[in-house]
Amino acid sequence: MNFNYSEAPYRIRDDIPEAHRLIWKMIAKPGNWWRGADRVAILSETRHAVHCELCKERQAALSPNSIKGEHALVTNLPAPAVDAIHRIVTDASRLTEAWLNDLYTKGMTDGKYIELLGIVVAVISIDGFHRAMGMPPEPLPEPEAGETSGLRPEGLADLGAWIEMISPLKVAERESDLYGRNKQTGNVIAAMSLVPDSVRMLKILSGVHYLDMQDVANPGANGGRSITRPQIELIAGRVSSLSDCFY
Amino acid sequence: MLRASTQVSGESVNLNGIVEGNEVQTGLRGGEALIRFAEASVGNSVDDKADGIRVAREAVKDELGENSMVDAAGVIANFQRMVRIADGTGIPLDTPVAMMTSSIREDLGINEYGSACNTPALSLPQRLLGRLLQPALPLVVKLLTRNMSKPN
Repeated sequence: MNFNYSEAPYRIRDDIPEAHRLIWKMIAKPGNWWRGADRVAILSETRHAVHCELCKERQAALSPNSIKGEHALVTNLPAPAVDAIHRIVTDASRLTEAWLNDLYTKGMTDGKYIELLGIVVAVISIDGFHRAMGMPPEPLPEPEAGETSGLRPEGLADLGAWIEMISPLKVAERESDLYGRNKQTGNVIAAMSLVPDSVRMLKILSGVHYLDMQDVANPGANGGRSITRPQIELIAGRVSSLSDCFY
Repeated sequence: MLRASTQVSGESVNLNGIVEGNEVQTGLRGGEALIRFAEASVGNSVDDKADGIRVAREAVKDELGENSMVDAAGVIANFQRMVRIADGTGIPLDTPVAMMTSSIREDLGINEYGSACNTPALSLPQRLLGRLLQPALPLVVKLLTRNMSKPN
């Protein structure tokens, strides 16, 4: 069994490894735009990005675009995908719409980018939990065979981000679980809706790492956690600030 | 959300702890230990920080208990994800939130972050309305987010 925390040095709530197992299973399956093997490769490249010398040089530079070179790779993913993964992992606060548009000229598509982003951020948070807890990273999942679905959801609209998102006013039945049956949602929930499973993974992980969506709404709720809501939000604010995140 | 949650709980918090780190007394129980745990855990380096993380983790465990430490690790993990979703998609700050947090963002210098350019500047009426609504922040947050969180 993967994510077996019974040997962990601390007692960890059961819902956390259950969610992590589910995410590992979802990553291993074929997605909308990437096959299972590609998706596991994205996972692997996410972990490797922190060792990339080019990324370290770019992080230290006033402008990341001023440093040219090749990323150190551990996969056969296309170059635009590798650049996206490494930049999201190591220098996300300096990503720009122009950078993303440049990736599109090199073969990246909006669907592939959002699916890749969904995997990268899921891995970052699961590995981040392990690192904070002093536990080694979980081994890679075995990819499942099969073809991509090519699914592009209905109801996409320009809502002010770099990519289209499903408008809460135009949600199709197939995606009705994403926002609940609501006419508004936070942009950070809708951000990856171009690939609905990316939002589903986000909700699964947020539900165990942070709070269920229904508890997020109530500033007095702490979801039954052992820390208070202000303590939760203090950590959230500090992590966001350390990451130079305006949102 | 930190300010809204302390308004609900009746606590007072020094918001500077968010941007200035563990040098600031936050006013929350265990606040400094939680901030140190977050600071130790966030980042791209892998092995070289392990000892610092362990010390910070044990400090939270000693001060708030093991379950609290595990919950804190979850929140640290969660927001390393959320910031990259926001930065990787260029989403603007939701307008009602932008209105109500305008003065806080100015005070804390958050408007200087690079990704601030993804959010259009507020009009003067929006800024004024935001200031007017600030005392009712917990209620406004609840109303605004109520629809976001209803189950199917």
